[in-house]
Amino acid sequence: MSTLVSSRLLSAGLASARRVHPLRGAVFLVLLAMLSASAAMGQVEEAVVSGSVGFLYSHNDGQTSLQPILTPVILVPLGSHLLVETSAQLQGYIARSGGNGPYEGQFFGSLQYLQLDWAVNSHLTIVAGRFTTPFNIYGERLGPMWLHNLQDAPLIYPIGTRTSGSSNGGMIRGVVVSRPAWLLNYTVFFSALSQVENLGSGRAFGARAGVFLPRSRLELGTSYQRFLQEQHSNSYGAYFSWQPRSLPIDAKGEYAHSPQGHGYWIEAAYRFKDSGKGGLTLAKFQPVVRGQQFFRLAPGVSDLLPATDTQRVDFGLNYYPIPSVRLNASYGRQFTSERDSNYWTAEVTYHFLFPLAFWVKESK
Amino acid sequence: MQAKSNLVALALVAMSLCFAVSSRAGRQQTNAGAKGAAKVDEAAEGEKRFVTNCGRCHQPPSDIPPREAKAVLRQMRVRAMLSSEDERLILKYLAP
Repeated sequence: MSTLVSSRLLSAGLASARRVHPLRGAVFLVLLAMLSASAAMGQVEEAVVSGSVGFLYSHNDGQTSLQPILTPVILVPLGSHLLVETSAQLQGYIARSGGNGPYEGQFFGSLQYLQLDWAVNSHLTIVAGRFTTPFNIYGERLGPMWLHNLQDAPLIYPIGTRTSGSSNGGMIRGVVVSRPAWLLNYTVFFSALSQVENLGSGRAFGARAGVFLPRSRLELGTSYQRFLQEQHSNSYGAYFSWQPRSLPIDAKGEYAHSPQGHGYWIEAAYRFKDSGKGGLTLAKFQPVVRGQQFFRLAPGVSDLLPATDTQRVDFGLNYYPIPSVRLNASYGRQFTSERDSNYWTAEVTYHFLFPLAFWVKESK
Repeated sequence: MQAKSNLVALALVAMSLCFAVSSRAGRQQTNAGAKGAAKVDEAAEGEKRFVTNCGRCHQPPSDIPPREAKAVLRQMRVRAMLSSEDERLILKYLAP
């Protein structure tokens, strides 16, 4: 789940780290079984641990918070077609109580996904378990801390990803048609209701389809989700992702619509070309800008969307001293009919990757 | 006279052997060269596919060991809907 949404949950007092649920034991057993199966198949050597560890400082609308975040990812191949992948987010949220009091911290964790992927062929992959809800592209592609260019999630992120950003159920996905000039992909999923702490999900059905044009490196897609609990409702979305060949720009954007509101965000990141002069390589810097608007259509209770019509613009700068480390700072200004506010963030992230069986040397 | 003939015959055999060995070595070099070129071509094609597919979210990694690359690519095959051919060629680029 994205940092901002997690913070919103914390602020709302909905997250608690202290209760221990028996299902955590079940998750642990599943992980143990998965590793045992991998070891039995002689493939434990191929399992890897990836992820990131980071520290985020934010000063949002007068509220300062410090957030250490650890996001491990474990990948365990089973044979040539199966893969078990899992990721959790362990996060702290340290802020002044009451705005001016002493700093107090809360720590919590959530299982983002624990899924079994069966790659039948390039047209079909069957996924079962807990997975990131595939609505538009932000949650699935840009969700990890080391991937999104700005730390705050877009305002419209909660649309189509209720209730937790993850789904428990099944999903099929793949490429329908692949031609040199274009490629059509699809994803269809069903999720069951779960109110288990840290494993929550909404009862929903959804689909996503996208067309990718490799020559122009442009992807266009659309998403649909039917929320099948409480008041049944539909959410729609559209997205684009474009990396033009002539310029080192990474442009992305999304539009999402729900009965509670609709909005969009557009982001562009520019990676300088390596000048190679004077020791300062501009290629390590990446300025980012994002603009977004949200329009409230109906009041919603704990839907995590802004309460009123909102506009926001963010400016950020990423610096990569080495490829696995990123320093980021950003400033955002938010405009609403009630008040305007400033959002500052600074973050350092280290992205790691090593074999799970680190004691086994790689065979040549 | 007999000894001279034997020497000539021996020299011819030696020359033939040298020619055969050098010819075989040449063929091996040619084969190795062709294989090397094919490997380079596959890595170049893998780089192209990396930039096209993975470059939408990732910067090219500086150094990634083969087994880590293999596992990560398996995951990306699902996430980014890569074909098995994409997976094979990108692996050639990431971990040649």
